[in-house]
Amino acid sequence: MALLTIALLAVREAARRRLLTAAAALTIVLVGLTGWSVSRLVSLHDAWKSPSTVALHASIFVILLAWGFSMVLAVGAAFLAAPAIASEVETGLILAVLPRPIRRSDFVLGKWLGLALLLGAYIALTAALEFATIKAVTGYLPPHPIAAALYLMGEAFVLMTLALFASTRVASMTGGIIAIALFGVAWIAGMVQTIAIAFNNQSIETATAAVGLLLPTDAFWRGAVFSLEPSAVVATANAAGRSAADNTPFGISAPPSTALLLWSFGWTAVVLSAAVLTFNHRDL
Amino acid sequence: MNPQATPAIETFELVKRYGDAVALAGLTMAVSRGEVFGFLGPNGAGKTTAVKLLLGLASASSGSGWVLGEDLGARAARRRIGYLPELFRYQDWLSAREVLALHCALSDMPTARRAAEVEHALDTVGLARRADDRVGTFSKGMQQRLGLGVALLGTPELVFLDEPTSALDPVGRHDVREIIGALKRRGATVFLNSHLLTEVEHVCDRVAMIDRGRIVRIGSVTSLIGVATELRVRVADTSPQVDASLRRYGRVSFHDGWYVIHGIAQDRVPALVADIVAVGARVHAVEPHHATLEERFLQILRGPSNGAADDRSAGGP
Repeated sequence: MALLTIALLAVREAARRRLLTAAAALTIVLVGLTGWSVSRLVSLHDAWKSPSTVALHASIFVILLAWGFSMVLAVGAAFLAAPAIASEVETGLILAVLPRPIRRSDFVLGKWLGLALLLGAYIALTAALEFATIKAVTGYLPPHPIAAALYLMGEAFVLMTLALFASTRVASMTGGIIAIALFGVAWIAGMVQTIAIAFNNQSIETATAAVGLLLPTDAFWRGAVFSLEPSAVVATANAAGRSAADNTPFGISAPPSTALLLWSFGWTAVVLSAAVLTFNHRDL
Repeated sequence: MNPQATPAIETFELVKRYGDAVALAGLTMAVSRGEVFGFLGPNGAGKTTAVKLLLGLASASSGSGWVLGEDLGARAARRRIGYLPELFRYQDWLSAREVLALHCALSDMPTARRAAEVEHALDTVGLARRADDRVGTFSKGMQQRLGLGVALLGTPELVFLDEPTSALDPVGRHDVREIIGALKRRGATVFLNSHLLTEVEHVCDRVAMIDRGRIVRIGSVTSLIGVATELRVRVADTSPQVDASLRRYGRVSFHDGWYVIHGIAQDRVPALVADIVAVGARVHAVEPHHATLEERFLQILRGPSNGAADDRSAGGP
């Protein structure tokens, strides 16, 4: 019960601090801009009138939009989770809470659950509004919109878990910076990996794959891209061969393997457990 | 064993180190159930560290301790404890009522009881009229009152109050004394950590003085400050005979128009007054005097020389 109380408290804090209002307002602006941009693009060229061309160009637009959104999610997840525990330690707020008969694990897991609810709801609503707007304007809907949203959630949850782990040990600012910096490293490693594959450089490919295992955000990003690509694009890329298909950060020929997804879930569970263990032994 | 038979707090050689720094250097003490126990010491003496160890907020480097018969930090004990931290901070985006309700929920209190508990706490600490205002709009004093309310939720058996009046005005301080009195009357144990020694002197049954992580004195307030062995007498129409009469009862000094007779037993006071009157002096006032807790505190921490009175030989005006 304490876990749920802490989770709902995190949600209530977001609402009271007008985080939800701000997120809602920004989403409305983003969706409005998306609708306007797509409608302008459609009206620019006659070529857009062809359904297959609309699908192709709209899919590129959607993937670029998703990339921007994933960056916002990464920053949002890091800066939401990094102060979640650290700021309560810094301000002394936690000194009144933890003497209550609650487990420290419930406190950490409750924070995680509350933030996951916030991020998950934000991603689901924003993605639904964006896809609906693009569909209304262009008639195009990506092949796997729900899977894409779930992959983006996965990416956000991985980074949120990392930032929450940092929050049990270091100051808010430090935790946020660590999470964002590591996210950047993982993303760049993913980029380099595609280049390594294109040039058939096994050692760089192995090294970048290892970075991807240490922080598996890029696996989720690739899953999101794959879910947003029209099947014709994937088929064409695959026909051109593995190197060509993977040689773009925004064009993925296959979804992340089940093994990689299981690794990512395991990674999240292990880092969350480490957060609990670290916080259990922390002197306040 | 009957849980009530165990002390409210018992520690044995409790040590806390932060790296090379020793915050607590072997705390051994016992606090009985139903006792109001004062915990005094200068800044950095280890008071708050001790409270954190007792509450499970920090773990001991060595030694052992029990609170309400349970190991330090045990949830079973924390369910029966109230705590007002020295650094009192509550969610400033919640109302006072919501903060109290939150702590009821975190305490596993039955839902049916919560509303009544919250109202009672609000009334007790005088926040009923501001119950629905956000904590962020409260003064420091009001936030400390809220913290007291939080500490009183759920009829705790043991209440830790860490500097409970640091932000309060005289009315607030009086209210805290009343609250501590009420806790004592219902049999709760109060562990009071305070710099305000007069406050401690008024409300505590026993006191421990801590310095550099160790207890330097522990005992009842009376045993620490001692029984009155000094008598102050204001006399008109003094004479050498008066001085001589007074010297028969102890060493005599003279301060600001008062004779001070040191080491006099209280049962000899009537005879002393009679003697002075017999030699023709008029007695305006007679006051037994004992050291305050503050004086004893300073004596103990600084050594006797600093707390000694500025005696001089007796001599009338």
